[in-house]
Amino acid sequence: MAKAGVGERLRRKEDERFLYGRGQYVSDIALPGMLHAVFLRSPHAHARIKSTRKPRGREARVFFAADLEGVKPIRSSPNFPGFKGADFPVLAVGKVRYAGEAVAMAVAESPAAAEDLLRDIEVEYEPLDAVMDMKRAVEPGSPRVHDEWTDNVFCEMRFDVGDFEAATKAAKHVVTRECRMNRQTPMPLEGRACLASHDRRTDEVTVYVSTQVPVPAQIGLSSFLGISQRRLRVISPDVGGAFGLKTFLDGETVAVTWAALHLGRPVRWIQDRYEHLVCDANCRDHWYRITGYANAEGKLLGIDCEAWCDTGAYSPWPWPAGIEAGTAPSNMQGPYDVQAVRARAMTVASNKPPVQPYRGVARPGVCFAHETLMDALALAVGCEPHEIRLRNLVRPEQMPYRTVSKKLLDSGDYPEAMRRAVQMIDVTAVRARQRRGEPDGRRIGLGFAAFYEQTAYGTGPFGYSAWGIELVPGLEPATARLTGDGELVVDVGVHSHGQGHETIFAQIASEILGIDPEKVTLRYGDTSISTAGTGTYTSRSTVSGGGAVATACKQLKAPIARIGAHLLQAKDSEVEVRDGRVFGPKGSVSFAEIGRAWYHHPEELPPNVDPQGLTAVAGYKAVDGGVFSYSAHGVVVAVDTDTGAVEILDYVIVEDCGRMVNPLLVEGQIIGGLAGGIGNALLEESVYDERGQPLSATLADYHVPGASSIPDVRIAHMETPSPFSEFGMKGVGESGAIGPPAAIANAVNDALCPLGAEILETPMTPKRVLAAIRAARERR
Amino acid sequence: MKVTLKLNGVETVGDVEPRTSLGDFIREHERLTGTHLGCEHGVCGACTVLIDGRPMRSCLMLAVSADGREVRTVEGYEGDAVMTAIRRFFKECHALQCGFCTPGMLATAYDIANRLPHADRARIRMELSGNLCRCTGYLGIIDAIEKSLDHIHGTDRRTRKEAS
Amino acid sequence: MKPAGFDYARPGSLDEALRLLGDNAGRGRLLAGGQSLGPMLNLRLATPELVIDIGRLRELQRVETTDGALVIGAGVCHADIEDGRVPDAAGGMLRRVAAGIAYRAVRNRGTIGGSLAHADPAADWPPVMIALGAELDIASARGRRRIPAADFATGVLATVLEPDEMIEAIRIPRAANAPRWGHYKIAAKPGDFAESLAVVVIHKNGAVAQAVLAGRSQVPIVLSETGRAIAGIRAWSSDQHAAIATGLDADLAQHGVDAQFSPEDRAIHLACVSRAAREAIAS
Repeated sequence: MAKAGVGERLRRKEDERFLYGRGQYVSDIALPGMLHAVFLRSPHAHARIKSTRKPRGREARVFFAADLEGVKPIRSSPNFPGFKGADFPVLAVGKVRYAGEAVAMAVAESPAAAEDLLRDIEVEYEPLDAVMDMKRAVEPGSPRVHDEWTDNVFCEMRFDVGDFEAATKAAKHVVTRECRMNRQTPMPLEGRACLASHDRRTDEVTVYVSTQVPVPAQIGLSSFLGISQRRLRVISPDVGGAFGLKTFLDGETVAVTWAALHLGRPVRWIQDRYEHLVCDANCRDHWYRITGYANAEGKLLGIDCEAWCDTGAYSPWPWPAGIEAGTAPSNMQGPYDVQAVRARAMTVASNKPPVQPYRGVARPGVCFAHETLMDALALAVGCEPHEIRLRNLVRPEQMPYRTVSKKLLDSGDYPEAMRRAVQMIDVTAVRARQRRGEPDGRRIGLGFAAFYEQTAYGTGPFGYSAWGIELVPGLEPATARLTGDGELVVDVGVHSHGQGHETIFAQIASEILGIDPEKVTLRYGDTSISTAGTGTYTSRSTVSGGGAVATACKQLKAPIARIGAHLLQAKDSEVEVRDGRVFGPKGSVSFAEIGRAWYHHPEELPPNVDPQGLTAVAGYKAVDGGVFSYSAHGVVVAVDTDTGAVEILDYVIVEDCGRMVNPLLVEGQIIGGLAGGIGNALLEESVYDERGQPLSATLADYHVPGASSIPDVRIAHMETPSPFSEFGMKGVGESGAIGPPAAIANAVNDALCPLGAEILETPMTPKRVLAAIRAARERR
Repeated sequence: MKVTLKLNGVETVGDVEPRTSLGDFIREHERLTGTHLGCEHGVCGACTVLIDGRPMRSCLMLAVSADGREVRTVEGYEGDAVMTAIRRFFKECHALQCGFCTPGMLATAYDIANRLPHADRARIRMELSGNLCRCTGYLGIIDAIEKSLDHIHGTDRRTRKEAS
Repeated sequence: MKPAGFDYARPGSLDEALRLLGDNAGRGRLLAGGQSLGPMLNLRLATPELVIDIGRLRELQRVETTDGALVIGAGVCHADIEDGRVPDAAGGMLRRVAAGIAYRAVRNRGTIGGSLAHADPAADWPPVMIALGAELDIASARGRRRIPAADFATGVLATVLEPDEMIEAIRIPRAANAPRWGHYKIAAKPGDFAESLAVVVIHKNGAVAQAVLAGRSQVPIVLSETGRAIAGIRAWSSDQHAAIATGLDADLAQHGVDAQFSPEDRAIHLACVSRAAREAIAS
């Protein structure tokens, strides 16, 4: 067996099935007698439903909210101060609050026939003024999204840590920037999908769902359908991308599960691309005003920040409205040694789809704010942008470092990451090139971003538990079982949909037991197999799920060793488990021989054999507050001031995610995140007109990065183990997506600086770049 | 309506509504689910299959329009040396994560390998513009295709072009 | 996202297709490559009662070179032009333009006639054909007519075609010397619909220049003043850019579209036209 433990660039075990078209996604599953569900969508952003009528003769195949007996609205109840709840109805009740909201469900023998039914459903609407701008939404006299509210504010959070007044008094430089990160959609290649089927014998409903979180989906379906968890089995097979979107429970899945029970036939719903772009949860939609107070050298003393999020019409489950804006204050100091932060986080309702966390959660916006602030400060102080960062970054000797917001940054050398990025991008050469000018007249710009990524958290201050969110990630289970032929089956509660858990968890098992990863099967995504665990998000799976796998494998060593010792006629203390065998003073036995003894040769077992046998059940709880990866991004762009086009010429990333289980897959996560971040920075925007009509309804209008959008990024790894996790691992799933909007904006603004132009809004489309240049010209 | 086509070398007869897309026919009627429908308006490329040897969108073609044609899906490359090499390098270069775009990527990669032996990275990027991937950031895919071209056509493939 | 129901016919000859189209005027839609109609069917933006599949008609695949023109059958796909299987009467421009249309998988199926007939303002072929002075052969069961490409589209997705008519072929005039040309396209990324698309063709040793502008929010327009400015240019300098800007502003005003453009729209169109002109002059 080749080396295959922690740290190896093992090729993925899961690739084989995908390369031969043998992946199995929800839409690939068909059950006998299956019906197909589709949804009638509101054409209005805001309207009262005056009347409804079902197609004559097909009444039994069409369902409005009132038909869904026993179904409750989707509800989340965090303890944010003053939080106003906004039940998310499975199908609209009384009012529609965004264009694309589900109003009715139709089922038929094929999706096309079900869509035919939609044509014949009549709904009369009374259109209302739409709330489309978060700033105007809070003005008196604005129309209200929810009639029973007195305004359009879900919640307002205030945050004040450290001696802010002292910081402002001591400051020599005060710089302020306003940043806007517009609305996007996560756009996994596979949309949502579900297939529900009722087993009359067991009275169990099996629901295939394209989800990141099988057990939470089971819990949510149970709550909102009003049926016991024991009657629900959720299977999440292969999932075609998720990026946070597929953590929240959609009303469609609730309705489809209800329909399968009600109709006694399997029912499948495959979200189409229009539905994803228009009717599903969106993401981002942030606005910041950030002010930094610094001393003469540019050392930041305090930060004052307003963070707003237009979070749409409803508060979804399990992640309520408020967590996007609410994530900002305690992260606003970024990776810098800042002793005072004052912030206000506003969560505003509008007639748009709900906003849900997308790769990076709020942190791409937060990073955009604190990193454009750093560049503004560099301008004020008159030094290089990387220099101002080096003056402020938390230093290695301060680790572990408690931020003013009480986060415990566990380990690393933040300045060294920045220095390496500076070296890789070659600041001196870029500056010389800028002075020379480009033959084609374009302007060159250099930008940096430094940030940390809080991973695998949930418990602790400023997190899920502190906010009273119903689903708190933390404890993650794993079961490891040696089979009768000496191979390994590992069950986990985290879900893999591209992350490569089947490979990296096998590597972890191999590291501990010495077993060949090819002899390890990872099972997940089925609540009848993995009965607990909260799934995959928050860059938590490797740390939490992997930690659980490591713990289970370590536990499994004891019964393996004991049986092995008995077979070797040695004492327990004399044997060692390694390389898939048990070694004693005089020879060794294979796992297969040990498995054989336990499963069908009890006469060979020691008298004191553990009756649990060769199964180890373990739980692993990551440290409160999680572990912190960090990164420095550097980018060189060329800005065409005639067309407004931005081209990325060079991109470097220095990343430290602690001990890497598989550097190849770490790089895959970083580059994939970078691609999303480039989309965020330059291309992707869900645009609405003033009446709330979506203008990005197809992929001709919603621009997803293509192969030409992504440069040949250069990545350098640092590897500072966390003192708080198995092997010193940290999460890395979102990091790549956090830095690009900030780094690219800084680079564009560096290029535009001689023109006096600045752009602080994503995506930085050609028109926005040109508008910034024109605004600068008109100011002069 | 009756449709007869050769699907992965097998004569296949189906009875479909005229509105049924080739993609739906392949997936729902023939249960070859390796071909994925990602957008159904021709942009994402996940549904790309070979029709008479050329990559085309199976979501934009009616099944009845494919009558009499040869259709090749991701399930239909057994023993094909070019696809074997492409698959090997896709794995080698970590060119896939969730796998949803992969069948379409492979069809496009196969077309590049056969049609553009001299393609450099810039050309590969252009040729991939009709296939969206949301996971990998494309670099592994570009690497894999570049290595496949080197393997199939020789590492001197670009210099030979210059000489010719 | 599945189409509404329709009947389907695949006529075996052009005459049969024209007869079917005539008999079903107003309720039938022609399907050639389906790369424009397909999405509209799937989104139920188009709900014809009958789809007439002309994708295999040999009469529409013909390509011939006459003394005065290159005649390209309406059913020729973009990839055949891209790969040079069709002679290029425009000194390489047809190949370049074809290669930039959407994606290879779309070009393998989408046809030149279908693209023209669909009349999407962001489509690549209409401004090219206008700039080249091409004519379209229009056929119906009633007879044939020939009209200049410049007179074909009447608006967004609207043309002079009667419900019983189709494009049979495109006739591109052949000069003794292939024209000098420039083509520039600005889009969010490769394969996307053009924000701006400019084609400049210079004939007769620079005496005459045709400039055409199009884009996703602008149906193709002929830029006469800009063309005149370009015709006089012998070599490129920054003065020429200014001359083109003056010409473009005059043209936009003349077409009555100046007010609908933001300064940024105008800037993008200007850059696009200027770069196409520069390429044509340098060629």
